[in-house]
Amino acid sequence: MNGRVNHQKHRKGRIGLIFLCFSCFLWPSLSSCSKRDNATPNSQVLRLSQRNEPATLDPQLATLPDEFFVIRALSEGLLAPAPGGGAPLPAAAASWSASPDGLVYTFLLRPEARWSNGDPVTAGDFVYSVHRILSPALAAPKAALFFRLKNAAAFYRGQERDFARVGVHALDDHRLEFTLEQPMPDFPALVASGPWIPVHPATIGQHGRIDQRDTPWTWPGNYAGNGPFTLAAWRPNQEITVTRNPAYHGAAQVPLQQVRFVAFDNRDSEERAFRAGQVDVTMDVPFTKLATYRTAQPPVLHTVPLHETRYLALNVTRVPLNDARVRRALTLALDRTALVEKVLLGGQRPALTFIPPGLGGYQAPAPPAGDLAEARRLLAEAGFPGGAGFPRLELDTWVNSPVLEAIQQMWREQLGLEVTIAQREARIHLAALAAGDYALGLVPAIPDYDSPADLFERFTSGHPANYPHWANAGYDHLVAAAGRLDAGADRNAAYQLAEKVLLADAPVIPLYFNTQNFLVRPSVQGWQGDALWTRFYQNIHLDEK
Amino acid sequence: MLRYTVRRLLQIIPVLFVIITATFFMVRFVPGGPFTAEKAIPPEILKNLEAHYGLDQPLWRQYLNYLRSIAHGDLGPSFKYSNRTVNEIIGDKLPVSLELGALSLVVALVVGLTLGVLAAVRRNSWLDYLASSIGMLGICVPTFVLGPLLVLYFAIHLGWVNASGWYTWQDRVLPVLTLGFVYAAYVMRLTRGGMLEVLNQDYIRTARAKGASETRIVLKHALRGGLLPVVSFLGPAIAGILTGSFVIETIFQIPGLGREFVNSAFNRDYTLVLGTVILYASLIVVLNLAADIAQVWLNPKLKFE
Repeated sequence: MNGRVNHQKHRKGRIGLIFLCFSCFLWPSLSSCSKRDNATPNSQVLRLSQRNEPATLDPQLATLPDEFFVIRALSEGLLAPAPGGGAPLPAAAASWSASPDGLVYTFLLRPEARWSNGDPVTAGDFVYSVHRILSPALAAPKAALFFRLKNAAAFYRGQERDFARVGVHALDDHRLEFTLEQPMPDFPALVASGPWIPVHPATIGQHGRIDQRDTPWTWPGNYAGNGPFTLAAWRPNQEITVTRNPAYHGAAQVPLQQVRFVAFDNRDSEERAFRAGQVDVTMDVPFTKLATYRTAQPPVLHTVPLHETRYLALNVTRVPLNDARVRRALTLALDRTALVEKVLLGGQRPALTFIPPGLGGYQAPAPPAGDLAEARRLLAEAGFPGGAGFPRLELDTWVNSPVLEAIQQMWREQLGLEVTIAQREARIHLAALAAGDYALGLVPAIPDYDSPADLFERFTSGHPANYPHWANAGYDHLVAAAGRLDAGADRNAAYQLAEKVLLADAPVIPLYFNTQNFLVRPSVQGWQGDALWTRFYQNIHLDEK
Repeated sequence: MLRYTVRRLLQIIPVLFVIITATFFMVRFVPGGPFTAEKAIPPEILKNLEAHYGLDQPLWRQYLNYLRSIAHGDLGPSFKYSNRTVNEIIGDKLPVSLELGALSLVVALVVGLTLGVLAAVRRNSWLDYLASSIGMLGICVPTFVLGPLLVLYFAIHLGWVNASGWYTWQDRVLPVLTLGFVYAAYVMRLTRGGMLEVLNQDYIRTARAKGASETRIVLKHALRGGLLPVVSFLGPAIAGILTGSFVIETIFQIPGLGREFVNSAFNRDYTLVLGTVILYASLIVVLNLAADIAQVWLNPKLKFE
């Protein structure tokens, strides 16, 4: 750097050079701007808001309802849950029958059923699928849903090496037989659940081993399904597009040409996109806008009751919650109608019993009697008259809910107890529940399939989802016995006995049965809401009037 | 200069090593794991999952394995997305965040520099007050307020653009304006400050005395010196735009790396957390170095030391 003139010239060039660098930085991004039609609503293109980016579209590895929203468009199991509950409907199977002892189920497959690549759907494909999900190395999170099959649990644990001895057999190409360990009248409901959706053996084999987790078979171009749509595009965190599958056995009856699952992380962005005309169906409505939609645009707002119980788990291994009288007092002091009608305002129903009404046809028993005076009496008996001497407990949650503040106030006013609300990150909260490292915790309970059995089993001794860490041999016995009975009055009565034990000992405080509030554009016809988050795409059509 | 650059580049290695080590162990010590779910997974299945991802090995061995694999440029498989690798996810998402960041930076520079220069030249005039007010607003109004307001007016009320998405060039307008506006405010204030200082210097008075035109004085003599604070701000700012785009990406549903970064922490996707941290840390270190070099290059009073 010699000389002043040179110096200045250099520096003049440098500013230019720095900006040139920034433009280089810009160039690839500008050139990547692609034109794509987004806003024009095509006649039969349904645009759905998709909340959680699917971790996978493999029906045997998926765990979330959000993942099955897409998977159920791409594939179907032997049976599908019926919209609105009740006995499951035939899907890949045309019919089924059970042996008189309730141990053997035979499914008759539709001879015309095809995979999206044109291969026939055979009984052997289902046997392969069961073999795959029971392979330990696949580590399928929902593998336990298959343990009802004879020798299935033993095969998973490596105690049984020969898969031929597991209770699933192809009698011929179109007849499939399942043998159970013990009678399970809810077996058809279990078969209709998401993880029972089959995979195409040749496609799995083409991309890896039967028990390999990380193969790319679920990517567009590779995916083979037997459902009403095929996977056209998957742009993670942006959009999944599926188009009508001409090989589907009911293709002629599917009005929709395409379904687009548009990713939205939160209800506010989603609602803005709905108002801007970018999505036809949302997942949710912002709490603050519920009342406005209800009064200003009632046809757009949909409310679907869910089979989901929101409850408080009480850690029964901790003093003073180890005393059933304290637990009963806590549950009796809550006014659930007030929680639902004055705080939640979203059409939720107060939960005086635990199992959601109508789940698997179950009718709940009358809630245990008791009132505020009883609650105060029980608390005094337990050694805390008027709440005196009661330790300050922590009420843990993963979500900021005004319900918890209402509960805090009810306990303070009615029983003289103080609790502290602590909001933790979701997985920290769940880990604390599982480890028993909490006192009171808010928990959602969503069953895997349409039967009360799943929720009852969660409170049997040693169950991994038994967050209260409660153990009651009488309850365990009642639940096991009820699970073997045929659906009907006897079974209902047996489950009612179990629920009475659960409510009387109160390791859980049921709060409310949840609902889903969401927005549906009036042009969408035939949308069927479902209490178990199942999606039914076959009957939806768009009416652009 | 070459020696200086090489020395600074070599310093990145220990810095990254410390960051990787600290992140690796911190993310492991957070309660809850990648397979924690609302309905707890049975222990026998959990054991198989952990075995698949090598989580059953002692932590120190997992750490050594991870170091070995990143030495080969492999950031490992994602724990959440069972058939995607961290390299693929970053390769897929980084260009989107870069595009958002680069366009926002252009907005920030064009708006910020123009307003800043005008405010300094017309000091204490209505123009100065207007520009300063805009600058103050840009700093005070958070993106999560400005973004939805812009959506409300331009997407829902006027219907000119989409409320969210990342498909057409129109989809870029609102997020870029929202993110760019905040940085424009900083650039404006820095430019104004820098210009005011330079405009009081003796050499500007000399230029005026020699009869140079006002335009010439501002653009040729003053701007060069007045830009110095902006240049030193740009290094960290670019890193900030790239790493801090999470809020914008969430408001406008942009499939960028910012969302992956934050969600990976919630999902306990250990490898994705580490991969994005390594990337962002490298970006910050390199961009700071670039800003330092640019500054010395522009300002003869500074030397490479």
